[in-house]
Formats: sequence, C-alpha cells, structure tokens
Amino acid sequence: MRLAAIPLAGAAILAVCALASLPWRQGLLRWSSTPFDRSLASSVAPGYALLSAAAGVIPPGSSVVARTEPSDPIQETYFFRFAVALLPGRTVLPTAFYGAPIAPKTWRDANYVVLIGRRPTAPPGRLLLETPDGTVWYRGKP
Amino acid sequence: MTGLAWLSTFLLLPLAGLPMLRHRSYGRFDFLSRAVLSGAAGASLVSFSMTVFALLGVRWQIPTIAATAALLAYGMGRLLPVKKANVAALSAESFGTIETIACGLVLLVVAAALIATVDGAAGSPDLLFFWGTKAQQFAAARTVDAGFLRETFHRYMHVPYPPLVTNLGALATMGAGRFPWRAAILTFPLLLAALALGLPGILRGSIGRPVAAAVSALVISAMAYLGMEADIAGNGDMPLLFFETLGMALILSPAASDPAGQLLAGVLFAGAASAKVEGLPFVVAAATLFLLLRRGASRGDIGRSALRLLGPTALALAAWFAFGATRRVFYGYSEYGPLLDFDPRQIAAVLRATLKALISAGHGLPWLVPLICLLVAGRWTRMAAIPLGVAVALTGFLFLSYLHRVENLALWISWSASRVFSPAAMLFALAIGARDERT
Repeated sequence: MRLAAIPLAGAAILAVCALASLPWRQGLLRWSSTPFDRSLASSVAPGYALLSAAAGVIPPGSSVVARTEPSDPIQETYFFRFAVALLPGRTVLPTAFYGAPIAPKTWRDANYVVLIGRRPTAPPGRLLLETPDGTVWYRGKP
Repeated sequence: MTGLAWLSTFLLLPLAGLPMLRHRSYGRFDFLSRAVLSGAAGASLVSFSMTVFALLGVRWQIPTIAATAALLAYGMGRLLPVKKANVAALSAESFGTIETIACGLVLLVVAAALIATVDGAAGSPDLLFFWGTKAQQFAAARTVDAGFLRETFHRYMHVPYPPLVTNLGALATMGAGRFPWRAAILTFPLLLAALALGLPGILRGSIGRPVAAAVSALVISAMAYLGMEADIAGNGDMPLLFFETLGMALILSPAASDPAGQLLAGVLFAGAASAKVEGLPFVVAAATLFLLLRRGASRGDIGRSALRLLGPTALALAAWFAFGATRRVFYGYSEYGPLLDFDPRQIAAVLRATLKALISAGHGLPWLVPLICLLVAGRWTRMAAIPLGVAVALTGFLFLSYLHRVENLALWISWSASRVFSPAAMLFALAIGARDERT
C-alpha cells in the first residue's frame, strides 16, 4: 500500500501542475488558429497562419519567397522553413539561412512574395491576399 | 476529415504487429497491453520495411508495406519457442481504490495534454522545420527522397536523423492524401493515452496491480506535464518516449526472462533507436545493463539474449545508414562532428545552461517529483540499476553532445534540453517499480 501511495502522490502533484499550467483565463476549449498560438514559439504563429492561407492563392509549380516586414533575417530563416512545409509543390527560395541574409539575386525573381507583418508602402506586385498577419503578392513571371 | 484519415491510418500498425503478439508467450499481458504492444511492434516493423523499400528502390505502397511488416511479425512469432500459454500473471485482483485514483489522475493529465495541444500551447515548430516536412515530401515521392535531402538549403532538416517518425508520417500522408499539420500535433496526447492504456498491464506482472497503476500514473503525469511545458506536440520526442517506456517496462518485467519478451523488447528498442538519435544510447545502455544483471545465465544465453535485444536495432539502423551511404546523402550520425572532438572547457557553460533549461520546464518538477518518490520509496533493488544506469548513460551522452558545439550553445540547450532529458523522468518513475524477483 505504501509503495503504491508514494508514486500516486507524485502523480497527483504533477497532475495539479499540469492542470494549473493550462490557460484557464483565456478560455479552454478553443481550437486555436495555429498549433503555436500559446506555445513558446508563439512568435511564429502569424507566419504559420499567413503561409497556410497563402497555399490557397499560390499555385503549385510557381516560385515563392517568405519575407518579413520589416526584414528580419532570423525570422525569415524560420519562415523559409515554414514555407517549405506549408507550400509543397512550389519552389521556395530562401532570403536568409541560419540567420544570415542571402544575396537578392537568389530570390528576387520569385513569382510570389509572402510578406509577414505590416503592408509595405511600396507594393512588391499585385496584391492577392491580405490578412491581419500579412500580405501575399504576385510579381509575375521573370 | 483529412486529419481523421491521417490518424486512422495508424490503426494499421497494431494489425501489422498482431502476428507477432498473437504468440502464446504474450498471453501474460492483458488485452489492452497486447494491443498497445502490437501497435508499437507494428510501428517499428512498418518503419523498417519502408526503409528497406527505400534502400532497394521499391516505391512505397501502403498494402505492400503493411503486408511486409505483418510477414516480418509473423516470421518472428514463428521463431519463438512454443510454450504453454502464460496467463498466470493476470491475477483476479479486483479494481481497488489505488487503481481508481490512478485512473482518475491519468485521465486528468491526458485530458490536460489534449487541451494544451488543441489550444496551441504545446505545438513544436520542429514539426514544420523537419519532421512533418520530410514526411510530406517522402509521401509525395513514395520513398525517402534523397534529392530533396541533398539540396543545400534543406540541410537544416537534420538529414541523418533516423527515419521512423518521418516514415510513419509519410505512411499516414499516403493514406490521407495530404499532411494535416493540425492533426499531426495530436500524436502527443494520443500516444500518451496509448501508453496509459498499455503500461500498467506490462508492469503488473512483477509488482502487482496497485503499484503498477500508481507507477504508470506517475510516468504518464510526468510525461504529460513535461510535454506541455517543453512543447513536444508533433515532434519526435513523444514517439521516442513511447518506445523507450514500453521497452524499459518490458525488460523490467518477468516477460524479459524468456525469448519472446526479449525479442519484443528488441523490436521496441529498434523503434526507439529509429525514432531519434538519442534512442541509440538509450537502447545500448538498457540492453547492456540488462545483460550484465542477468543471474545464472550461461555465455550462450547471454549471447542469444543480446541478439534478441540488439539485433533489431542493428538491422534497422544498418538499413538506414546503407540508404544514406548508397545515395551519398549522409554517412552515419555525422552532424555534430567526430565523437571525441568536443571542448571540455565548455563543461561549466553546458551545466549552467542545462540546469536553467530544466528548471524552466515546470520548475524542474517533472524530474524532481519522480526522483523524490524514488528516494522516499527507498527501493534500491538490483533491477532498478537498469533504469537508473540508463539515466546516467543518457545524461553523459547528452552532455557530450552539447560539448560538441560552441556557437549558440546556450540557445541550443535552451531549445532542446528539457525535451532530450525527458526520458530521465520516466526512468526515475519506473525504477520505483523495478523488482528483483523473476517468475
């Protein structure tokens, strides 16, 4: 009995901790808009949301870059990876890799630009999609 | 609906493993444990079949993969000696208070893990960085796509990482038609639930139903809380923990004294070693300690046991490394440089950063609570040396890995330490139930 009670008490402590760590105040039973809304990686949630939406307007076979506005090579490194994941069948060109910017000649001819962040003052092409997380632009064929 | 179809494809896994688990020797486990063990063995064999298909240049098709894995499972069942059905371990004890409380706690923590996952509070970006991306690409290519892995800008995808998680993800993607990112993160609470169903039946053979239920509750609670704090939903950590926990529970149980139990543990260990890089040191340490602690076994017995425990892992990784070498994509686990090329001057920095990372995950409680329970229980049995020795070996391996990098060391550790040290919490909990007597 004692041997069972000890791990059981431990399990109870951890269960209380697990329950306490849930975001009770923000409303529990809510299907979040991205898998990262309330995780440690919540900063990438807008990029996930925009790139998921962009899949509907960027056709397979085209080329695309994922950028941030303003440009941030670390975030762009992540969003390049997200774009590879969320835009299968498209050629995703990197604008940054491991936090270092990549020369524009590598990616400037992309057909589509996904811009995470605010809408740029100078439009990089024809606006296809605008969400609270950013914009998607068609730049035409090079 | 795609998500449901994707998750439903995994129902093939217990079917693939069933021909092995139908063997009479496994009659010692109850129905739920046998079903979960079938799923785990099936997953390991399906992944192995997919890797061999990729190595041989055979395109993946779900029916042929499932049939090959089931044939392998059947073949392994045929290799085992036919004994009397071992059902004695299933006692007629009634469902008591301890078990009722344990079940309640497990339900609570699995529900908490599910809510956290659905709520976007446990998702791992690694799902998009490489696990899911590779699975999606491999499903489209119907093989491990060497060209995709070889591309310069895809080298961040940890090309040599072992193939089980991506293979199984690709299998489900072929079944569903596309990769459903939101459903993929549900593998965390679902595998946790599967473990909660299967673990008590494995443990109860040696320690009785109440203690087995209590120890299982501690294991599941620690994993749930840690998973929620370290954001493991959708990455390779929960599959790794799933195989490691079942394999370790099996070698601590009376089932490990016969060839069937050892072979099953070997297949589960192959699953662990094929899930993540750190699965390999876990498996080697667990099998070595098990063999060292066997009493009264002849050299021949030890050799055969070693073959059953480590043979499946050797085959699984040999197939993977042969694929990498023949396609000139990778040569072994080469990402962190040569094994002995580490910088001992970083020891203090690694220790500091690791402690900080562990404390940041639930104040370190997922490790501290099982450890304190172990100390209070005061059961320093001989068999407890297996989980505790594996915890020490794994810790050593992880420290050594961290010492291989200088750039962004603290950042790397802050991202990974709470996840990669998570098996230690499970090992402390299982050590409480490790009993020396074997039936």
